[in-house]
Amino acid sequence: MISNEHGDTTENFEPPVSDQPGGARLIPIGGGKGGVGKSFVVANLAAALARAGYRVVAVDGDLEGANLHTCLGVPKPKTSLADFVAHREDDLQKLVLPTPITNLQLIAATDGNLASPQPSHSRRVRLTRELRKLSADFVLLDLGAGTHSAVMDYFMIGHDGVVVIAPEPTSVENAYAFIRAAFYRRLRLAMVSHDVRKIVTTAMDQRNERGIRTPLHLLKEIQSLDSAEGTRFVATMQAFRPRIIINDVRTAEDVKLGFSIRSVCHKYFGIEADYLGYVNHEDKARLSLRARRPIVDLYPRSDAAIYLSRIAHKLSATSSVVATGVRPAEPNTAPPPQAQSPRAPSPESAPNFRSQRPNPGPRS
Amino acid sequence: MKPLFDQDHYEVLETRRDAAPDDIERSYRMALATYAEDSLAGYSVFSEGDTSAIRERIEVAYRVLMDEESRRAYDDSIGFGASDDLLEASFDAVMSGDSPPVSQLLNIEEPKRELESIAAFEDVDDGSGDFDGARLRRFRLRCGMELEDISRITKINNSYLSAIEEERFADLPSKVYVRGFVTAFASTLGLDTKAVVTSYMKLHDESQESHRKSRFF
Repeated sequence: MISNEHGDTTENFEPPVSDQPGGARLIPIGGGKGGVGKSFVVANLAAALARAGYRVVAVDGDLEGANLHTCLGVPKPKTSLADFVAHREDDLQKLVLPTPITNLQLIAATDGNLASPQPSHSRRVRLTRELRKLSADFVLLDLGAGTHSAVMDYFMIGHDGVVVIAPEPTSVENAYAFIRAAFYRRLRLAMVSHDVRKIVTTAMDQRNERGIRTPLHLLKEIQSLDSAEGTRFVATMQAFRPRIIINDVRTAEDVKLGFSIRSVCHKYFGIEADYLGYVNHEDKARLSLRARRPIVDLYPRSDAAIYLSRIAHKLSATSSVVATGVRPAEPNTAPPPQAQSPRAPSPESAPNFRSQRPNPGPRS
Repeated sequence: MKPLFDQDHYEVLETRRDAAPDDIERSYRMALATYAEDSLAGYSVFSEGDTSAIRERIEVAYRVLMDEESRRAYDDSIGFGASDDLLEASFDAVMSGDSPPVSQLLNIEEPKRELESIAAFEDVDDGSGDFDGARLRRFRLRCGMELEDISRITKINNSYLSAIEEERFADLPSKVYVRGFVTAFASTLGLDTKAVVTSYMKLHDESQESHRKSRFF
């Protein structure tokens, strides 16, 4: 099946694989709402992982609002994902660009075709396959805003995609919409019987006439129809573990928001979300954006850099990925020439994140 | 996933079965905040009836678990101490009547729910370095406390506390007061007061010293 009556294209997507032996670990990072600092978080997690000795490719998945290259100090990329979308290049590896940061590479998303920025369905399938083949330890995928099917498909390439949330009602609301969309799409994909899929599709309409309001309602409906599908439903729920990052935290209330969202996900969706961590509001974040350098690289001793490094550490600690990159000499005192702004302060000494890297053990 | 009314009191409060009263109290406050009518985390998901039902359920769980005697009776009634298998069995009984556990059917591991608290972010600190204002703030956020909370406990003016965190030494009173403030601040956060005060006052003195010098010239 290529697409169903709703134009949904996930049906023949490959099932999510969060850890492939030998392959790069894919981490999609989304959030539903724009302006919550997604690209800032992606750029910094990528840089923090790179500083820890992992080979990282940061991929800008936002073909209609590309800016990851700017966060990483790569001026005017000559090639980008748009070349893959437009069939100008079939080998994703050839679109990988160097960045000023050791171990960190980029696939930009600039210069997309304004007439048809999004890849076709077959191109999307090909893209997810190509992403897995990239030569890297980690591939971080920065997703665009919204819950467009293209965005959701990218989010499905891993079980444990990251959702970035700002502590404000609009962001929280959109984050739930995002998690909900991801959950239902995944669910429909996991169901085998046509009738059950149809029920899931019905439930995806919030105002459906069957009155299915929550995933629990849906589960009961499905169980009464087909117990094997019910079992698959539960398994899908258990496998889906979105990870939450609260960005731009100012108060302890904001910190607690992550726990509350986790609780709501559990009680409402029956989904176990992980609270990966929070990043505080940081005045230096603006300076680092202006200098076009990740804050973990420019101000590694700042609060935000410490929190971001901590989150990167958590990401690497929960995977069996082994660092294969060159450990940069410490401290990293060679600022990339193109990233220097006239007023950019000198880099501070490196944080101790590196020394904390654990023995990568098998993922539990 | 269990419907709310099939969850036991510990699951409702999202706390451990061996939780101390302190932990239960904290979980209860957290749960109340999460399912409050105007909660940032909940308002866009739940309708009004949903949250009030959840809150009622939370209150019941709290009342039972906070009373030593009723908690013991409750633990006996749900077979606490038998094993986790029993819980799983009841979980599946809810799910499908009499089929074997889902986890066995699918040969998958039941994800263990990590009941971490705010303290889980403890590792944001590596235990080394100076106790500067930023580090004090990190510890405070980790404890889930606002400056107002610290102020209420220590009776120290909010503006002094924020001056301590932001290291605006000029806005602070004389040294002996600062020492006292920092001691109270650190002790509220459960930190080693001696280590914090020694470290923070060193910063304070250095800054004052350079300030004096610059004035002299």
